[in-house]
Amino acid sequence: MATEALVMGLFTNENQAVSAVEALADSPWQLRRVHSPIPSHKLSDALNLKQSMVGWYTLAGGITGFFTGFILAVYTAVQWNLIVSGKPIVALVPFFIVGFEFTVLFAIFGNVVGLIHQMQLPGFKGLEQYDPRCSGEHFGILASCSASDLEGLVTFFKTKGGEIRVF
Amino acid sequence: MKPNDSSSTGRHKKQLIVICLVLVVIGFGTFIFVLTGRHPERAWQAYLINFLLWSAIAQGGLLFSAIMHIVNARWSAPLSNLAESFTAFFPVSFILFLFLFLGTEHLFPWLHQDLHGKEVWLNIPFLFSRDFIGLFILYGLGFAYLYHALWRKLDRSVSQGKIRKLLYKWWDRSILDSEKCNRRMTVFGILYILAYALILSLIGYDLIMSMDPHWYSTLFGAYTFVKAFYVGLGGLIIFASILHLYPKIEFTLKPSQFHDIGKLFFAFCLVWADFFYVQLIVIWYGNIPEETVYVIERTMAVPWAYLAWFIFIICFIIPFLILLSKKVKTKPRFMSVLCAIVIMGIWLEHLLLLGPALSHQVSSLPLGIADGLMFVGFLALMAMAVTFFLNLFPELLRVKEGDVI
Repeated sequence: MATEALVMGLFTNENQAVSAVEALADSPWQLRRVHSPIPSHKLSDALNLKQSMVGWYTLAGGITGFFTGFILAVYTAVQWNLIVSGKPIVALVPFFIVGFEFTVLFAIFGNVVGLIHQMQLPGFKGLEQYDPRCSGEHFGILASCSASDLEGLVTFFKTKGGEIRVF
Repeated sequence: MKPNDSSSTGRHKKQLIVICLVLVVIGFGTFIFVLTGRHPERAWQAYLINFLLWSAIAQGGLLFSAIMHIVNARWSAPLSNLAESFTAFFPVSFILFLFLFLGTEHLFPWLHQDLHGKEVWLNIPFLFSRDFIGLFILYGLGFAYLYHALWRKLDRSVSQGKIRKLLYKWWDRSILDSEKCNRRMTVFGILYILAYALILSLIGYDLIMSMDPHWYSTLFGAYTFVKAFYVGLGGLIIFASILHLYPKIEFTLKPSQFHDIGKLFFAFCLVWADFFYVQLIVIWYGNIPEETVYVIERTMAVPWAYLAWFIFIICFIIPFLILLSKKVKTKPRFMSVLCAIVIMGIWLEHLLLLGPALSHQVSSLPLGIADGLMFVGFLALMAMAVTFFLNLFPELLRVKEGDVI
C-alpha cells in the first residue's frame, strides 16, 4: 500500500485560498483541514460545511434559562410570602425580567458548552500537522495524497499561488 | 427586458392602477356610508387608524434608507431604492391629515371635557397647527433627502416626464458634485431621523394618547416611532418580495439580503415588545388608578382583553418564534405573509389604543366589513402612490451589479 503524504498550502490571499479549496474538490487529492486566520464566509461557502449545531445548544440554554429564572423568582418569593404594595406573591409581570435575564445568561452558557463540545475541546495533544503562521496572516489548506503523487499536489498548490509545507 | 415583456408589464401597470382606483373609490364610498349612518365616529376611527398606520409605513420605510446611507451600508442599496419610493405617500398622508380636521367632533373625546389645566396643550387650533408644522418639517426633510438621493441614482439620459425635467432644471442650476451630494444626503438623513423621532412622538401623544386625556405615559412617543419602523420594515419586505417574485420586473434580491432585512425586522419585533413591556411594568409597579385604568380597560375588560392577547400573539409571539429560524428569513413568500400578519396586528393595536376611548361601553368589538374596506382603500392609495413614483423613476428598480453583496 502506498504511504500517504500530507501537504499544506499556505496563502496570504483569501480569494486564492477559496480558489484552491474549490479546485481540490474536483481533484484526486483529499482535503483534510482548512485553517483561517479570520472568520471567512467565502471559505465556509466553498467548503460547503454542514450547518453548525452550536445554535441548538444556545436555544436549549435560552429556553432552560427562561424557566429557571422564572422558577427561581417564584421559589424565592414564596419563601417569604411578603405582600408588598398589595402585589401578589407570585407576580408574573416583574418575574418576566428575571426570566429574561436568565435566558440571556443560560443562552451564553449553552453557546459556550456547545462550542466546547462541537470542537472537541480540550485538545491536549494539539494538531499534528499545523503551521503557526495560520494564527497570523496565512490561510492553511491541508490536503493528502499518495506518496507517489506528492509532486502533483505540490505543483497544484504552487500554481494556486501558495507556499508549500510538506509533513 | 424583451419588447413583449415591456408591453405586458405596461398593461399590468394599467390594470393595477385601475384596480387601485376602484379600491380607493370603494374605501371612500364606505367611509361616506358609515359617516352618514348611526355611528359616524366609527368612520373617523377607521380613518384615523388607517392614516396613522399607512403614514407610519411610509415614514418608517424612508427611515430605513436614511439609516442605511448614514452607516454606509452596502448590502441594502436595492432595498433603499424601494424604501425611497415610499416618500410618494408623504403628500397623500399630508392631505389625509388635513381632512382629519373635519372629524374633530368625533375624534377627540376631550373636546367638551374639563381638562384641569391641560386645555393649554389640548385644544384643536394648537394641536392641528403643531402637527401640521411637524409633518411639514418631517416630509420636507424626507423630500430634501430624496432630492439628493435621486441626483445620484437617476439616469440623466432619460428625459421623460415633467417632474423629471423639473428635477434636471434644478440640478443644473445648483452646482452639485458627488461628494457634496453625498454630504448633503448625510445631513438631511440625520435631520430626517431626528425629526422622525420627535414628530412621530408628537403624533403619538396628540392623535393616540390624548384620546384618554387623563392618562399619560412618557414613553408613548418612543413606542410610537419604534412601532412605525417595525411596520415600515414589514411594508418594505412585502414590497421587495412582490417585486422579487414578479418575473417581468428586473428587481431581484439575494437570499443574504432577505436574510439581513429579516434580521432587522426580527430585531424591531423585539424592540416593539420591549417598549410595550417597559411601559407596562412601570404602570404595574406604580399601581396608580389613573394610570392602571387605561391598561385594565384594554387588557382585562371584555371585549378588548381578547383583542389585546390576539395582538400580542400575532405581533410578537408568532414572529419571534418563527424569525428565530435563519431559513425562514430568506423566503420572500413566507416573509411577506408574516409581515402582512404583523401589519394587520398593528392595525388592530391602533384599534385597541383608540377604540375604548372612541367607542364607549361596547359589548363587542367595533369592527366590521366597513373597516376592512376602508383598510383596502388606504392600501390602494399607498400602492398607487408607489406605482406612480416607480413609473416616474424606473431605474430605481434596476439592481446594479455592485449593489448586491
